[in-house]
Amino acid sequence: MSAGASNPEYVNARVRARRAALFSDEDYRKLIRMGPSEIARFMEETEYEREINALGTRFSGVDLIEYALNRNLAKHFDDLLDWSKGQTYDLIARYLRKFDVWNVKTIIRGIYTDTPAEEIQTDLIRAGELEDALLDRMVEADEIEDVVEMLDGTIFYDGLVDAYEEYEESGMLVPLENALDREFYENLLEDLGRPQEGPRAMYVEFLEAEIDFRNARNALRLARTGADLDPAEFYIEGGVLFTQSELSRLVNDYDELVSHIADSRRYGDRLSTALNQLREAESLIEFEHALDAALLEYADRLSSIYPVSISAVLSYILAKEREVENIRAIARGREVGLSENEIEDELVIL
Amino acid sequence: MAKDVKPTRKNLMAIDDRIDLSERGHGTLEKKRDGLIMEFMDILDKAQDVRGELSDDYEEAQKKINMARAMEGDVAVRGAAAALEEHPEITTEAKNIMGVVVPQIESSRVSKSLDQRGYGVLGTSARIDEAAEAYEDLLESIILAAEVETAMKKMLREIETTKRRVNALEFKLLPELYENKEYIEQKLEEQEREEIFRLKKIKEKKEQEEKQEEQATDEETESDEAVEQATAGGVPGGD
Repeated sequence: MSAGASNPEYVNARVRARRAALFSDEDYRKLIRMGPSEIARFMEETEYEREINALGTRFSGVDLIEYALNRNLAKHFDDLLDWSKGQTYDLIARYLRKFDVWNVKTIIRGIYTDTPAEEIQTDLIRAGELEDALLDRMVEADEIEDVVEMLDGTIFYDGLVDAYEEYEESGMLVPLENALDREFYENLLEDLGRPQEGPRAMYVEFLEAEIDFRNARNALRLARTGADLDPAEFYIEGGVLFTQSELSRLVNDYDELVSHIADSRRYGDRLSTALNQLREAESLIEFEHALDAALLEYADRLSSIYPVSISAVLSYILAKEREVENIRAIARGREVGLSENEIEDELVIL
Repeated sequence: MAKDVKPTRKNLMAIDDRIDLSERGHGTLEKKRDGLIMEFMDILDKAQDVRGELSDDYEEAQKKINMARAMEGDVAVRGAAAALEEHPEITTEAKNIMGVVVPQIESSRVSKSLDQRGYGVLGTSARIDEAAEAYEDLLESIILAAEVETAMKKMLREIETTKRRVNALEFKLLPELYENKEYIEQKLEEQEREEIFRLKKIKEKKEQEEKQEEQATDEETESDEAVEQATAGGVPGGD
């Protein structure tokens, strides 16, 4: 954690310039009409130039684009952590720990499947709080247990130690992966309290939405799967949409679960179209899509209400992530032959 | 072929037996062939349905994985796939359809629940679930298609074999046996006729010999009588 006074104004000023460099709707419209190699060339003329050139000798096609996007994302988010101090750092870092979760998951999956260290390194997105040196040491570890021990002192350690016992019994990575995600989500709101007004209140509201949406996704997935799973295991504390007992009850009744989300004062209106589709359609994808869009809109609204607060930084983080996901979706979509309309439907653009 | 057979009554009887057996075999094989064709037609309908489903499932699975790769990224999809520990297993048993042994494939651990796929549930998305589910369905279809198509191929091979046997009996073996039978019968009749003729000749010869003998005897008797008569009349001048 960075010491010193909080500096949201400075970080916001830097972020504003970065935000202006994000791809516009017009850029997306151009990209949709390009093939993977044209997209890579187009990216070479944008701020992705350095990553495309650096990775161009090792990768080609859509893999080049995907790895360049990940590396660029990591660079930007790493800059955010470098610029921020004090509480600003803490508030940004707690959200960016999702990349620590990604990296630890990638490493334990790699060890689990005996993947060469070099390949694991390639898949890491070094945008989180964990130091590069620690990540490198974890990649070189022979056993998952060693990785768990190396995380001693991080928020993930206690949860991973408990999950490791389960992993040893079952031989499956599920408990470890769930423990990582749970620690991330449950630490999002740690020590923040429940402020009623001001930028902090908005920030908390956004994080609550993130947890609520994650709970909603998982509840719907559990309800759809029909398997005899304990919903409590998949419940994340901190949201306002469900209590644990509500979630456990609603998982057994799909329609009531959808109605519960629709009746929510905070999210009901925002998700009403997606929820109506969800009642009819078999797939959850449309709903997840709507959740992503709602979250992005949420963050954008927060940044316009308090333009120099941490919310604006968070809004930028989401917008950058979305840009990376959109470009990757366009490139992969073109590679696998999806039509322009299909790709456009999948993009989340504000 | 017919020339190779010895035209004996014993062979004729043996050929009669073989004709009888072959005709019965021909009838049975014809019934088997027709039965197999009927079973094959049923399996063919099933195989066509299974092929159709397999093709649909493949398209669906490809679409889902493409979407997952596009929206979640190749790295995330690869990572989720790498977390799988329990791989599907298949066991095969034999089933008998009209004497044709076809495999019956039982699969286990193909369709998995959310917590059996290996990847963590909390941080993943429905896209990966749906891609995994679509591939599980595809795998089920492949296993079913393998069972049905193997049965179909084995049935087809058996139908071909049975058809060849029926044709061999109908157009080769039975005609040859009939030909041999006819040949032997003709030969035997010929032999019979020759025998009758020979016997007739012998009889005639015998009769002729007897006649000649009789004639010779008669002639001798006559000559003796003449001698006697001559002796009884005296020789003039002899008294």
